[in-house]
Amino acid sequence: MVEIVNLSFGYRKKKLLYKNLSLTLDTGSIYGLLGKNGAGKSTLLKNLIGLLFPNTGKILVDGQEPRKRSPAFLESMYFIPEEVYVPSLTIPSYKRLFAPFYPRFDEKKFYDYLDQLDVRDEGKLTTLSFGQQKKFIIAFALACRTRVLLLDEPTNGLDIPSKIRFRKLISSVFDEDRMIFISTHQIRDLDNLIDRVIIVDQGELLLNASVADIAEKLAFRTVSEISTQEDVLYQEDSLRGYSIVTKNDTANSSKVNLEHLFNAVTDNPAKIKTIFN
Amino acid sequence: MNNTFDFRRFGFLFRKTLLERPVQLFGFTGLIFAVIFITYFICKMLIGIGPAQNISFIWGMAGGGCFLASFLFSYFSTSASGSSYLTLPASSFEKWLCGVIIAEILYPLLFLVFFRGIDTMFVTIYHNSLDPASPLYKSMFDSVFIFAFDGRVAEKVYQIFFLLTGIGVVGSLYFNKVNFIKTALVFCVVCFAAWGINWLMAIIIFGHINDAFPFHGVDIPVGKIDGSVDLPAIPAKIYNVFSDLIFPISLWLVSFVRLKEKEF
Repeated sequence: MVEIVNLSFGYRKKKLLYKNLSLTLDTGSIYGLLGKNGAGKSTLLKNLIGLLFPNTGKILVDGQEPRKRSPAFLESMYFIPEEVYVPSLTIPSYKRLFAPFYPRFDEKKFYDYLDQLDVRDEGKLTTLSFGQQKKFIIAFALACRTRVLLLDEPTNGLDIPSKIRFRKLISSVFDEDRMIFISTHQIRDLDNLIDRVIIVDQGELLLNASVADIAEKLAFRTVSEISTQEDVLYQEDSLRGYSIVTKNDTANSSKVNLEHLFNAVTDNPAKIKTIFN
Repeated sequence: MNNTFDFRRFGFLFRKTLLERPVQLFGFTGLIFAVIFITYFICKMLIGIGPAQNISFIWGMAGGGCFLASFLFSYFSTSASGSSYLTLPASSFEKWLCGVIIAEILYPLLFLVFFRGIDTMFVTIYHNSLDPASPLYKSMFDSVFIFAFDGRVAEKVYQIFFLLTGIGVVGSLYFNKVNFIKTALVFCVVCFAAWGINWLMAIIIFGHINDAFPFHGVDIPVGKIDGSVDLPAIPAKIYNVFSDLIFPISLWLVSFVRLKEKEF
C-alpha cells in the first residue's frame, strides 16, 4: 500500500537525512516508527503526507504520489503532527467546517471518541489545554476513517490516563483495511499497541519486523549473571540482575521490551541485520 | 472526483476559509475600514475633501487590499497550522482560487461599497453646510463631488491594487513569519534598486537630471525650465502593459506555483 523506493531526502543537499531508503508498508498493521531525536522520524512522515518532497526516489501511497497533494490522496490520509492546530471554533463548528472534506467521516463515532478520550465541549477549542486539543484532533482524525493515519509523537502532552485511553482507542478502531503509523521516541507508550516495529537511525533503516518475528528471533531476559559465552546485544542493570537482549536460539519466545530492543538495534545494527535477514 | 476543481469541495473550502478565522479576517477588514474612515475625516479637515478622497481611496483600496492579501495565506506562521492547511483535502488550485476571490473580488467590492457610503456622507454633509444664499454657493457646491470610480485616479489605483495584492500573496507564501513586514521591506529594496539603476542610467545618458521615474520618464533641466523626456509611444505602451498587466498576473501565477510546490 505504501511503497518507498530509494528515497533520499535532506534539508540540505550535501547532508542527506535519508539515503536510498526502501520500505513497503501494508494495511492491517499498526507500525511503530522508532528513532532518536533528530533521526528523521517526523521528516519521513512529512514525506509520506506530501509536506516534504523526496530529493530522489519515489513514494507511492495506493499508487498516488504524495507530493501532488491531490484531494483524493489527502482524503485517504490523516496526519496528526506533534503540535496540533485548532482554530478558535467550538467543537460543532469545527466539525461543520472540516468534516465535509472527509467523505467517510462518522459523526456518531466522533462524539463517541471525544467521550472516550474525555474531551468535553467547553466553548472554543483554543481555550482547551494542549493535551485536550491533541485528544480532540485524535478523535477527529479517527472519525474521518481514512485508510492511513500518521501520528507524530501522539502521546506528547497527554497525561497518564489519557495515554491509556489513547492506546485503547487506537486498538479498538483498528481494522484490516487501515494502516496506522506512529512515530515516537516515547517507546513505552507503544507497548502492546503496535504489531510492527521500524527503527531508523542516521538515515538508515535498521529494522522493519513484526513484533512476533522479533519475539521469535530475539530473547529478552533477566539474568543474575551474564555468561561470557553469550553474545549480548544489549544489557542493562536491573534490581534482579541484568536485563539482556540476545539472539534467540530456542523455540521459546519472550515478551518484547521495545526500549531494550531499540537500544540493541541502534548499538548493533550489523548484527541485527544478520539476525533478521 | 475531480482532483483539480470540484464545485462542492470548493464551496466547503470557501466557507471554511471565511469562517475558520472570522475574527481575524473580518476584524482586519473592519480595522482597514475604520482607519480609512479616520484618514478621510482627518484629511478632509486638514486639506479638503478632494485630496481626502484620493488619499483614503488609494490607501483603502491598494494598501488595505495588500494587507488583506498577505493575511490570506498566513497559515504558515506556525508548523501546526501550515501542516493542517496543506494537508486539507482540497486541490492547490482551489486553495489559490479562494485567495484570488477574497482578495481580488470580495474585498474590492466591499471596499467600494464602504467608500461610496462614507464619501456620499461627507460630500452630503459638506453640501448641506453651504449657505444657498451665498453668491459663491454654486461654485462651492460644484467644486466638491462624489469620487468617480471610473476616473483617472481610480483607474491608476486599481492597477496599483492589482500589483500590490499580487506582491502581498507571493510574500506570504515565501515568508512564513511576519510576512507582511518582510514583504514590505523587500518591496522597498526592489523599488529603491529600480529607482537607483534608472537614475544611474539617466545620468549616464543625459548628464544632469532633476528626476527619473523608473524606466518611464526623465526630467532634465533645459536652461531655466524643466523638460520631460518620456519613452516613445511603442516602448511606453510595452512598459505599461508589462507593469499594469503582465507583472501583476505573473505574481498571481507565481503564487499558485509556490502554493502547489510549497514544502513545509
